[in-house]
Amino acid sequence: MKRTVTHITFLIVLSLSLIACATSGADPNTTPGGDPAMSGEGSMSGEQPDQQGEQPQSDSPQTEGADMAPNPDEPVASDEPAESPTAEELAGRLETLTEAFTETRNTVEVLNRMRFSGYIQAQYVNDERSVDVLPTPTTTSNRDQFSVRRARVKFTYQVSPTARFILQPDVTSSGVTLKDGYVELTEPWTTWRNTLLAGQFNWPFGFEIGYSSSSREMPERSLIVRTLFPGERDRGVQLTGRGFAERFLYQIALVNGTGTSQSFDFNKRKDLVGRVGVNFGPLDIGVSGYRGEDLVSNTANPRGVTFDKEREGVDFQLVTPIPGLGFRGEYITGKERGADVDGWYGYLIQNLGTRHQLVVRVDEYDSNTDVNNNAIRTLGGAYIFHWDANSKVMIAYEEPELEINDPDDNVFTLRYQYAF
Amino acid sequence: MKRILSTLLLAALAVPAFAQKAVTVKGSDTMVIMNARIAEAFMKKNPGTTIQVTGGGSGVGLAGLINGVTDIAASSRPIKTSEVDKLKQRFQTRGHTVPIARDGLAVYLNTSNPVRELSMPQLKEIYTGKVTNWKQVGGKDAPIVLYSRENSSGTYQYFKDTVLLQKDYSPRAQTLQGTAAVVNAVSKDPNGIGYGGAAYAKGIKFAKVRKGATGPAFEPNLTTVRSGQYPITRFLYFYLRSAPKGTAKQFIDYALSPEGQRLVSAVGYFPVK
Repeated sequence: MKRTVTHITFLIVLSLSLIACATSGADPNTTPGGDPAMSGEGSMSGEQPDQQGEQPQSDSPQTEGADMAPNPDEPVASDEPAESPTAEELAGRLETLTEAFTETRNTVEVLNRMRFSGYIQAQYVNDERSVDVLPTPTTTSNRDQFSVRRARVKFTYQVSPTARFILQPDVTSSGVTLKDGYVELTEPWTTWRNTLLAGQFNWPFGFEIGYSSSSREMPERSLIVRTLFPGERDRGVQLTGRGFAERFLYQIALVNGTGTSQSFDFNKRKDLVGRVGVNFGPLDIGVSGYRGEDLVSNTANPRGVTFDKEREGVDFQLVTPIPGLGFRGEYITGKERGADVDGWYGYLIQNLGTRHQLVVRVDEYDSNTDVNNNAIRTLGGAYIFHWDANSKVMIAYEEPELEINDPDDNVFTLRYQYAF
Repeated sequence: MKRILSTLLLAALAVPAFAQKAVTVKGSDTMVIMNARIAEAFMKKNPGTTIQVTGGGSGVGLAGLINGVTDIAASSRPIKTSEVDKLKQRFQTRGHTVPIARDGLAVYLNTSNPVRELSMPQLKEIYTGKVTNWKQVGGKDAPIVLYSRENSSGTYQYFKDTVLLQKDYSPRAQTLQGTAAVVNAVSKDPNGIGYGGAAYAKGIKFAKVRKGATGPAFEPNLTTVRSGQYPITRFLYFYLRSAPKGTAKQFIDYALSPEGQRLVSAVGYFPVK
C-alpha cells in the first residue's frame, strides 16, 4: 500500500514537472502579468496554431507525406527566437505548482494513513466422518470438500497518532461476517501506552485466541479454545498496556459474554475477562481469568437458567537454544453450564531453515471432569512450506480419540494461504 | 486416505529448498551507503561471494527478517518488542544483534541560516510544532520548514524517542524518503531543518547541539560521539534470525574487522571497535 502511494506520488510529481516544462517553454506569446495558471493551460492544449508552427516539422521523418504538407492558411513559424518567460511569470507558475503539490501531498498523507492487509485460505479437507447424504438447505454430512476457510481483509485507518480505526470482515463460502471492528485510543502521556479498545475484538484470554489464524501452525485452534471461546471474539471495551521495559503486559475487558454468534446480549450482567503476561527473555508466561454468567433456555423455566461462567488459564511460549525449536502450551479450567471443565494443548514447532516447519500438537478437552471417559484427546501434526513472504502451503493430519475408544474421525487438511 | 497422505507428504518434502545464492542485507536507508561499501570491499576480497544490499528503511528490513526474505536486517534503531514477538512466533528465535557502527544523528541547516547551535529542548519544541519561527531560536524572522522521514525509518523513530521524548511530530513536518532527500531539501530551502546521519553532509551545515538549555554545544564527530559529548548518538545494527554462519558470518566478521571499521569511518560513521 505504502509503495503504491509512493508510486502515485512519484507519478503526480512527475506529471507536475512535465506540466512545468511544457508551460515554461511552449508559449512565447503569454502576456506578461497575465494569469500564469491560465497561460499554462493554454500552452498545454496543443491546438494553438503558433505552437504547431514552432515544431521542426521538416526535420522529422514523421512529418513527410500529404497530410503534413504546409497549409498556406496557417501562420508560418517565425524565425525570431522565442521570448523567455519573465521572472514574474515563472514565480507565478511556481506558486501554482507549489499549491497543487501541497494539495496533492495532503491527499497522499490522508491515503497514507490507510492500511489494508489480509489473507485467503483455500483448502481441501478429507474427514473420515464424511458420508454421502442429500443435504438440507444449511448442512451436509459430507465434510470432504474444497472450501475457502478464511478470506479476510483488515482495514486500518490511523485517525491521529493516538487513535486508530480497525475493521476486519471475513468473506467465506458461508457468507460475510465481521471479525474485528473497533476503535483504539492510546494515551500519549506514559511509556505504557495504555490503550482503550471499544467495539468487537478478541477475548483477552490465553495465547491461542489472539494468535492470528494466518500465523497459526495448525489448521484450527485446539478443541478447548474452540469450545469455551467460540468465535474468539466479543463486544465490549478493553484496556491494555505494556510496561517495565515492555516485559509486562496487561489486558482487561468488559464484554457482553455472548460472543459474536448472537446479535444480542441476553442478560444484563457483563462479563469480565483479562490476562497478564510477563516476558523472561526466551520464555513468556501468561495468566488469564474470566468471570461472567450464562443465561440458557430451559423448558421448565421460561425465563431461562443462569449459570456461572468461569475460566482460569495459564499459558507459556518458549524458544529454546536449539535453532528453530519452540514450545507452546496452555491449560484452562473452569465452569461451563454447571459442569467443571478443563483442557490443555501443547505445541512443538521445529523450523528447518527459513521455508520449512514441522509441527506436532496434542490437545485435550474434558467437558465434565466429574464424569469418567468423556475426554477427547487429539494428536495432530503438520508440515508447512513457506513458499515466499506471502504464501505458504500446510499439510496437516489430526487424530482425535476418546478415552474409551478411537472412532473414525481423523481429518486431513491441505491448505494454501496467500497473505498480503 | 493414508496413501493420499503419504503421497502428499512425500511431494511436499520433495519441494526443493531453493539454494541461497547470496546473502541479502536489507533495511536502513541511513546505513545503505556504508553497507554497500563494506559489501563491495568484502566481495572483492572474497571472490565468488555475493552480498546484496538494499534500503527501504529499518522497519522494512526487520519485516523482511521476520518474513524470511532477507538474511540480515540493517537497522538504525533497536528492534521493537513487537518485532521480537513476531520473530519468536515465526522462527522460534529472539534474533541475533550485532552493533556494527555508531552514528551521531546530525541536525541539518541550510548554509545560509545564521543559527549555529540548538539545544535538545529547542529541537523538541521545533519538531513538535511549538516553535515555528527561526527568530524564536536566535535566527532571522522566517518560518521554520520541517523536514522529516517516513515512519518506517529507524532514524524517524530514534529522533522521536531521543529528541522528541516520544511526543508526536508536528503535522507540518514534511515526510521525505531517505536521508539524501532530507539533505537535498534542506540544501535548497533557506528556512529548512532536517535530521539524519552525519554521512550525508553535502550542501548543508550541521547545527551544533547542546544537551540542555545551557552548556557547550557540539558537532557530531569521532571525538564528540565517542566521548558522549554530542548528545544524539546511536548504534547502527545488523539483526539476524540466529547467530551468523557461512558467508553471513564472514561478512559480519569483515565489517567488524579493522578494515571494515575503517570503511565505517570513511563514510562518516564511527567505529564500534
